[in-house]
Amino acid sequence: MKKSSDFIKYLTDGLSDMMQICMDEFKRIFGDRGVVLIFFVAATIYPLLYNGLYKNEVVYELPVAVVDLSQSAESREFIKKIDATQEVCIKENCMSLEQARDLFLRHKVRGIVYFPSDYHLKLRNMEQATVSIYNDMSSFLYYKAMTMGVSYAMLDEMKSIQINRYNAAGITGEQQAQLMQAIPSSDVVLYNPGSGFSSFLVPVFLILIIHQTLFFGITMLAGTAREESRSHSQVPVHLHGRGIYRVVLGKGLSYFILYFLLSAYILVLIPRWFNLPHIGSIWTLFHMVVPFLIATIFFSMSVSVFVKNRETGLISFLFCTLILLFLGGFSWPRASMPDFWKYFSYLFPSTHGIQAYLKINSTGAQLSQIRFEYIWMWIQSGIYLITACLSMLYVVKKEKALMP
Amino acid sequence: MKFAALKNVWDRELRVMFSRPIYLFATVFVMGFCYIFFLTMMKEGLPEKLPVAIVDLDNSAISRRFYRELNATQAVEVVSKCSSYSEARDLLQKGDIYGFILVPRDFYKNLLGNKRPEISFYVNNTYLVAGTLAYRDMLTMSTLAPAAYQREILRKKGMADDDAIMGRIQPIVIDSHLIGNPWSNYGVYLINLLLPGVLQLMIILMTVFSIGIELKVRSSREWLAAGNGSIVTALTGKLLPYTILFSILGIAGNVLLYKFIGYPMNGSFALFSIATFLFVVAHQAIGIFMIGLFPVLRDAISFGALYGILSFTYAGFTFPIDAMPPLAQGPSVLFPMRHYFQIYTNEVLNGAPFAYSIVYYAALLSFLILPFIIVRRLEKALINQNYPLK
Repeated sequence: MKKSSDFIKYLTDGLSDMMQICMDEFKRIFGDRGVVLIFFVAATIYPLLYNGLYKNEVVYELPVAVVDLSQSAESREFIKKIDATQEVCIKENCMSLEQARDLFLRHKVRGIVYFPSDYHLKLRNMEQATVSIYNDMSSFLYYKAMTMGVSYAMLDEMKSIQINRYNAAGITGEQQAQLMQAIPSSDVVLYNPGSGFSSFLVPVFLILIIHQTLFFGITMLAGTAREESRSHSQVPVHLHGRGIYRVVLGKGLSYFILYFLLSAYILVLIPRWFNLPHIGSIWTLFHMVVPFLIATIFFSMSVSVFVKNRETGLISFLFCTLILLFLGGFSWPRASMPDFWKYFSYLFPSTHGIQAYLKINSTGAQLSQIRFEYIWMWIQSGIYLITACLSMLYVVKKEKALMP
Repeated sequence: MKFAALKNVWDRELRVMFSRPIYLFATVFVMGFCYIFFLTMMKEGLPEKLPVAIVDLDNSAISRRFYRELNATQAVEVVSKCSSYSEARDLLQKGDIYGFILVPRDFYKNLLGNKRPEISFYVNNTYLVAGTLAYRDMLTMSTLAPAAYQREILRKKGMADDDAIMGRIQPIVIDSHLIGNPWSNYGVYLINLLLPGVLQLMIILMTVFSIGIELKVRSSREWLAAGNGSIVTALTGKLLPYTILFSILGIAGNVLLYKFIGYPMNGSFALFSIATFLFVVAHQAIGIFMIGLFPVLRDAISFGALYGILSFTYAGFTFPIDAMPPLAQGPSVLFPMRHYFQIYTNEVLNGAPFAYSIVYYAALLSFLILPFIIVRRLEKALINQNYPLK
């Protein structure tokens, strides 16, 4: 009988300590201008900012110069078709390649289309005619717009040429279609159908914004506490230095409550406002967000053992934002990642968060389809809870040793 | 500016630099790690063997040929054969494959019966790069396979000359020149600019930190005294070690990328390295400006971080500036990354004569005006120490 009442007292004490620490942590968060800046201003402004900058999704009407030495009906027909595509816009007609090159080097045009003088002659002789294009490779999107625009125009132009030829030869109808294209093909872009840049990049940023603002906020709070040598004061006095896990859970709870609300804004509202992909169910998203936040919080609390000052977290770890972005495996595909970096990436909650969020939100995956990430995030939550306690214990012991 | 005073400040700063691990960590370690990370991560240049699937409902000689031809393309590898559309879609949603191709039932029978059966392919552009490459190879396969079939038909009709046949099947060929990146290497697109991006981030943070810490620990008067009371000497002596260190790190990066790895360099390596040096001092100037504007370490660090992260976007190498909304385009001139990117395009990719880049070199130089605007305010803060510590 006595045992069970002891246990209940232990539990209620633990809970009330935890709530007390949680409330204290809230006060600390709201009392710190720097942390408010990171937790609230950065986490709310960044999603808006990136959506604004990448709003146009793709490159339309890439300015291009044409050098037409053929000066024939055939070349003019093709040029008209290139100009008509949405990817490319003919901005300049040049007399020579030299003139076009000058415009290209001055960044006035982002590509050159060159028709040799024998273009129409070859077509009339039923030989293959060559058109040269010069691509600006400074951005992948320039290259993509140029290649796509010219290819679409070429396919269309080839079709017209063949139709004319078969008509002239008296072949029409089904037989003509059969000769031109025996096996038609259709392509379907199932997810991110507009091939938009923002729809590709911004969802990843959203997860990283949560991960990184949490990380820098938590390390800043920890660094400040250490500067003032008051980490130990957070351990309830009546426990005489035991009960570290109450401190860790109590602090963690305050971050979790804040970020649960922020996640609703960042992961649910923002994609709907800006028409980013959002075909996943909110219920599945909820299941993913809970372990993601827990893992991120305890991960950050564990790492904060290395942060001795307020500012050093930002200086030492800001570059990691870029590393985590690439470890997320959305840009450079996971399948081509060297094994070492692939396993290295499993250490970070952002990796699984990014993959899980993309699968749910952009491709409508169910919970069973993200089983791998889901289990990993819970494993991380468990392990990082233990390391966060150890890290807190280390800091407190060190401070006590320094006490007079 | 007295040389002795300068030497005094320089010595003082070197002592500080070796007194705490953060200085070496935020310079040599961070840059070294990033060089190794990005170069090993993208060592293939272009992703290869991206997993795709085939849904073969026909199971005929020709559908097996599609399978082989798709496997023979550069970027993709068929990792699974699915028995239904929904099975393939499940794999696509799980992220196990980036695309799949569907050959319908009775495909071969319909082809022989001149009924023009259709093949379809499906991609997931959530992963834009992998999706684009998978799309490209599936498209290639689905245009080449019919062309081969057409060639057989024309041969049967008595055309013997291969050139004439190609003139029929494909009257126009595009000869594509990829200026400065002939293999469309993904590393060239990204690494050449990501690494300077990390460099500028660390320069700004370290400039702000090395000055701001004097305010925070209230050693700023002592620092000024070491410089004989001259703010110009004090700043020069303090920042010169970083100028040298970051220039070495930046130029070492150029050597690594263009000499060692062998990324294309179509212009002058020397001129580009001068640009790298200007890039370093321009960001140091911005760092001074920030700590002068907000003479509180934590505030200046936060703003430095914000600016440094935005620099990646405003360089314009991932998403071009001219594709942004007009209102958002203007601020790009406020980022040295933008001008450095323009010099990079001209010098490294296009091999343009110096005259085309002169304006961007001038733009980088113009950032050196910033410290002069703020120097009096910074000096007052250093002497009076009248700003809050936190």
